[in-house]
Amino acid sequence: MSLIEINGLKVHYPIRGGFWNRVVDNVKAVDGVTFDIEAGETYGLVGESGSGKSTTAKAIIGLEKATAGTVMYKGKDVTKGENRRKLDYNRDVQMIFQDSLSSLNPRKRIEDVIAEPLRNFEHLDKEEEKLRVLQLLDIVGLDADALYKYPHQFSGGQRQRIGVARAVATHPKLIIADEPVSALDLSVQAQVLNFMKKIQRQFGISYLFISHDLGVVRHMCKNIAIMTRGRIVEVGTRDDIYNNPMHIYTKRLLAAIPETNVNHREAHRKHRLEIEKIYQEQQKTYYDQDRMAFPLVKVSPTHSVALPPELAKKFEQQSENKGVNV
Amino acid sequence: MKRDIEDATTISKADLAKLTKEANEEATPSRLKIMWGEFKADKPALVSLFLLVFFILFVIIASEFIDVPKMMETNIMGYYNKPFTPDYWLGADAGGRSIVKELIVGSRNSISIAIGLTIISSTFGICWGLISGYYGGLVDLAMQRVYDFMMIIPMLMTIIVIVTIIPHYNAITLTLILSIFYWMGTSRLIRSRTLAESQKDYVAASKTSGTSNFKIIFREIMPNISSLIIVDTTLSFAENIGVETGLSFLGFGLPMGTPSLGTLIANANDPENITQYWWTWLPAAIEIIILCLSISYIGQVMRRTTNAAQRRGQDQK
Repeated sequence: MSLIEINGLKVHYPIRGGFWNRVVDNVKAVDGVTFDIEAGETYGLVGESGSGKSTTAKAIIGLEKATAGTVMYKGKDVTKGENRRKLDYNRDVQMIFQDSLSSLNPRKRIEDVIAEPLRNFEHLDKEEEKLRVLQLLDIVGLDADALYKYPHQFSGGQRQRIGVARAVATHPKLIIADEPVSALDLSVQAQVLNFMKKIQRQFGISYLFISHDLGVVRHMCKNIAIMTRGRIVEVGTRDDIYNNPMHIYTKRLLAAIPETNVNHREAHRKHRLEIEKIYQEQQKTYYDQDRMAFPLVKVSPTHSVALPPELAKKFEQQSENKGVNV
Repeated sequence: MKRDIEDATTISKADLAKLTKEANEEATPSRLKIMWGEFKADKPALVSLFLLVFFILFVIIASEFIDVPKMMETNIMGYYNKPFTPDYWLGADAGGRSIVKELIVGSRNSISIAIGLTIISSTFGICWGLISGYYGGLVDLAMQRVYDFMMIIPMLMTIIVIVTIIPHYNAITLTLILSIFYWMGTSRLIRSRTLAESQKDYVAASKTSGTSNFKIIFREIMPNISSLIIVDTTLSFAENIGVETGLSFLGFGLPMGTPSLGTLIANANDPENITQYWWTWLPAAIEIIILCLSISYIGQVMRRTTNAAQRRGQDQK
């Protein structure tokens, strides 16, 4: 059984206007997202800015109210506040934020920052609590003198590691990492990512890893979902996505990864332009008249793609002929 | 599960004891020390601080030794007595009452009312603004309509009417009446900053750490807007001295027979007093100017203490 199951999650924001400040329309930030996260795995959620990745994360952790759909954890729907409280949900599910500076209260010392979840859930005595904070700092590779410093006295990478330490303080089962390294420079990115991997091995934590950096996602994740305009267009293993992309959006996203090999610069550029041309031509068929993606269709046991209806039918027939369970 | 973290590190209790000792030796200076450093770096503020503290203490202690009813008795022999005479250091008013004694007791009354008014109205205004700004939505809408309603009431007129209707009131009830009308400015100011502050990630992080809303408001957000609160409170203290004084000047402040800075300045209503008997109103006017100036200097130092980027003191830590 999966650790957490997200089913048809929708987050709509009302647009108000008109004479009585009525709801005239909705911004569909997240529009029917479905996926499961297994225990101990890293699940990657990829998409461009504004595709609803962060909103999905916030709805899962309970910072954003879900308009529809369920998030099942331990058999309970945690989109409801009372269920979250009953399960001590926020003890098991924690979050790492993108902006490490603004996610740490500038008025609090690191000791108090990391101890905050401990104080809410573990109720240790003063000595034990301090010891735990020190141990956590040690795990993320910070010196003990960090205890009495303030967030602004650290570099970006150190701050992000403090964020990681706070997130693992209560032994969570799932950590939602909302672009944890996109604000850091490349050398520090690797450092923080490796810390996250190390902690995952030690404690068996699952990650929901949100990013728009496909290189980072490839490094971190086993299963990946590609999101655009509030819907998932392609789900699959790392292999499926990187070696056999089927949706034009995924293809375009992969083509946009910068290539460091200078010798094939021209060829790479040509390839990129070709993909872009195909994308422009086929845009009409791959999205419906509201420019939304189609429902997902299984093309292999691990791989699902939001294919246009005609193509989808073909795949369904094929899989029936082959006798593959859909 | 608890064993996990302990297995992953080598930190033990002995290290903790050692570190605690080190930390105590190298502790960063406390708030009060920083503030004192700031005062030392700003000489006018230091003078203001001493002046204000000394003056308030003097006024409170000295007025304990003055028999107020006796002081307020009319003494025909002292009619507009000139200042700088043994019995009347600052002269006397039309009733032959000593201006010095009136000034001391009047200052105590005015300052106490101003302090009380500042504490009550600022506390209420800060809470109102914090709650309204943090929750937003319908809560904010409802609370801001109350605010709007209070704003459209003509403040001074209403206070005058209330004071006239109520048959018996003293300094405490007057403070409470004034408090009803002086929390709005603070609340709007605090609300606007809270709106911005509650969108920041550290508030979201606190929510996901399971901290209650009440704690987030008063332990997370409030310290972050403390500089605003301190500056606003000191400035509104200066302003509140003016509130009571203004009312008393108009004759609607403290009841008859209770001296205050306002009643002393009200002596200036009489053109003869302005031209000939300047001692009846000038000391009180100068005192208010000096008090308000001192408070604003002190307020500036407070602001610099809370904002590390603006500090002038030697110890920048």
